[in-house]
Amino acid sequence: MGTLQLQGLTRRYGANTVVDGVDLDVAEGELVALLGPSGCGKTTTLRMVAGFVEPSAGTVRIAGKDVTHAPPHGRDTGMVFQSYALFPHMTVAGNVAFGLEMRGVGKAEREARVLEALRLVRLDGLAERLPRQLSGGQQQRVALARALVVNPAVFLLDEPLSNLDAKLRAEVRVEIRNLQQRLGLTTLFVTHDQEEALTMADRLVVMEGGRVRQVGTAEELYERPADLFVANFIGRVNALAGEVAAPGAFRTTDGTTLPCPRDAAPGRATLCLRPEKLRFQPWASAGVPAKLERTVYLGGQTEYHFTLAGMAVMALRETPPEGDRLRSLRPGDQVTLDWLGEDARLLPEAAR
Amino acid sequence: MAALILPAGLLVLLLLVAPMVMLFRISLNEYSPTQLMIEALQPGNYLRALADPYYQGVMGTTMTVALSCTAICLIIGFPAAWWLARMDSKQKSLAVILTVFPLLVGNVVRSAGWMALLGRDGAINAALRGLGIISEPLQLLYTQGAVIVGIVAVVAPYMILTLSAVIEGIPRNLEEAAANLGAGPLTAFRRVVLPLAVPGVVAGSVLVFILCMNAYATPVLLGGPQFKMMAPAVYDQFVRGTNWPFGAALAFLLLMVTLVLTVLGSAVVGRRYKAQ
Repeated sequence: MGTLQLQGLTRRYGANTVVDGVDLDVAEGELVALLGPSGCGKTTTLRMVAGFVEPSAGTVRIAGKDVTHAPPHGRDTGMVFQSYALFPHMTVAGNVAFGLEMRGVGKAEREARVLEALRLVRLDGLAERLPRQLSGGQQQRVALARALVVNPAVFLLDEPLSNLDAKLRAEVRVEIRNLQQRLGLTTLFVTHDQEEALTMADRLVVMEGGRVRQVGTAEELYERPADLFVANFIGRVNALAGEVAAPGAFRTTDGTTLPCPRDAAPGRATLCLRPEKLRFQPWASAGVPAKLERTVYLGGQTEYHFTLAGMAVMALRETPPEGDRLRSLRPGDQVTLDWLGEDARLLPEAAR
Repeated sequence: MAALILPAGLLVLLLLVAPMVMLFRISLNEYSPTQLMIEALQPGNYLRALADPYYQGVMGTTMTVALSCTAICLIIGFPAAWWLARMDSKQKSLAVILTVFPLLVGNVVRSAGWMALLGRDGAINAALRGLGIISEPLQLLYTQGAVIVGIVAVVAPYMILTLSAVIEGIPRNLEEAAANLGAGPLTAFRRVVLPLAVPGVVAGSVLVFILCMNAYATPVLLGGPQFKMMAPAVYDQFVRGTNWPFGAALAFLLLMVTLVLTVLGSAVVGRRYKAQ
């Protein structure tokens, strides 16, 4: 196991910059997720680490060694591909043994390690099957075993769960995370699924347009997003345009005054509020008047969509018990919205 | 549904199977210089062709040329096919057109070009003499080498296109996975690409081998009067010797040898790679 360091990593295709100066340090045993919409450069970044894409600028260091221009087979990485990329003409054991063979591991040791790796992913007993005789989830685990068995310095995962159905995905997520922690694998994980990233990663890297928007833990990104893009991408957010008029007072473009943190710097900004921080009363009281547009019942939780000063906002709360006054709210009803100033977050306007 | 193959089936039956049956019947007849042939049912023509050292030599030459051409096509065709298969789709259509370009020129016209290039006073000899490398012209034309080069130039596109269609079906990330696991490009090729390309290797080789076994114009024009392969020999019997029964027997021997070698070859290659 080792560390991974990216410095100013850049990839251009003609005039098109796909990855633009990515800096990242992954500590030993850490799982870092590259997260972003499709085309944000996360996969290209991963492929530069694996050596499949030549960087236009910047460096890649694995376990302290500069491998920026080393060929893929000269780097000590273990990759799990989105489509698994199992060798269809080799058995499960043959697939897992391939990397050991390439490293000149003797037959007896090879067989022992293949068996151990298959046991680790709970596939012992299927060693002599061909990949096409396995289910999607089993193939995925073979791909994991194949990458793990060689003890790579860095473990690379390219959307490894996207070909699994939803239920299996949740299971495999836990399984990969457990393996990664048990073996202390330094891991770089690419995904476009924020839930996947939030539940699995020690730290997340939010990318957009080839650049890193923010690096941090799930809590940091959710509670202190650096900009509107991150706030929108990690979880859901109500974003209201306006300006900070006085300490603790935010004025929207149409003049409504809303609570905001007292220490906010004056000037134009976007007020961001997570849906679960928004409180509301079905009567007139201290707060901001708003109109209920619709409710979306999600079982344990319910979404309430309002119009506030001409802007759409959404509140998320536990579904009230039957008979509660909130249950009788109908679209068109007037309510009062309210939140703690400190729960709102002010972000620079038009972050992009 | 079965009716859909009726037109093609009828065509094959009428224009291929029927003449073959007739030809086989003719091969059992007896030759007569005055009456063309006499109705008979005897294997004499086959026995004569098999026993005659001249025709043994012609069959040997044909097999040597066909096997050499197939091997050369495979060796030069595989890298080209891989390159073609891994190309961006934009440039690929152009590359495919360039690959089949040799087929746009007829066999006779192309061979005339080779003659101008390889002849005693052809471009190559002239250039070598001009450079002072040789004083006497080299015998390039009317050699087995000239025939092999000439046939390879015709059949290579078939090999390349057949192979590249199969290689295209091999996911690119298998090569990446092999590299990621520590395999250099040659090892990745040998362990991953080649075994998966075996169906293409078999199909391409069979196609090319059959074309080579039956080559006519190229051996005649580039091999010269002394050089004989089976297809021209069959033609000689029918047209020059007017010995139809013997010509028909030669044609069937050629067919049988081609068939046996093709089936044996694909079985051996197929078994060897299935074992992995």
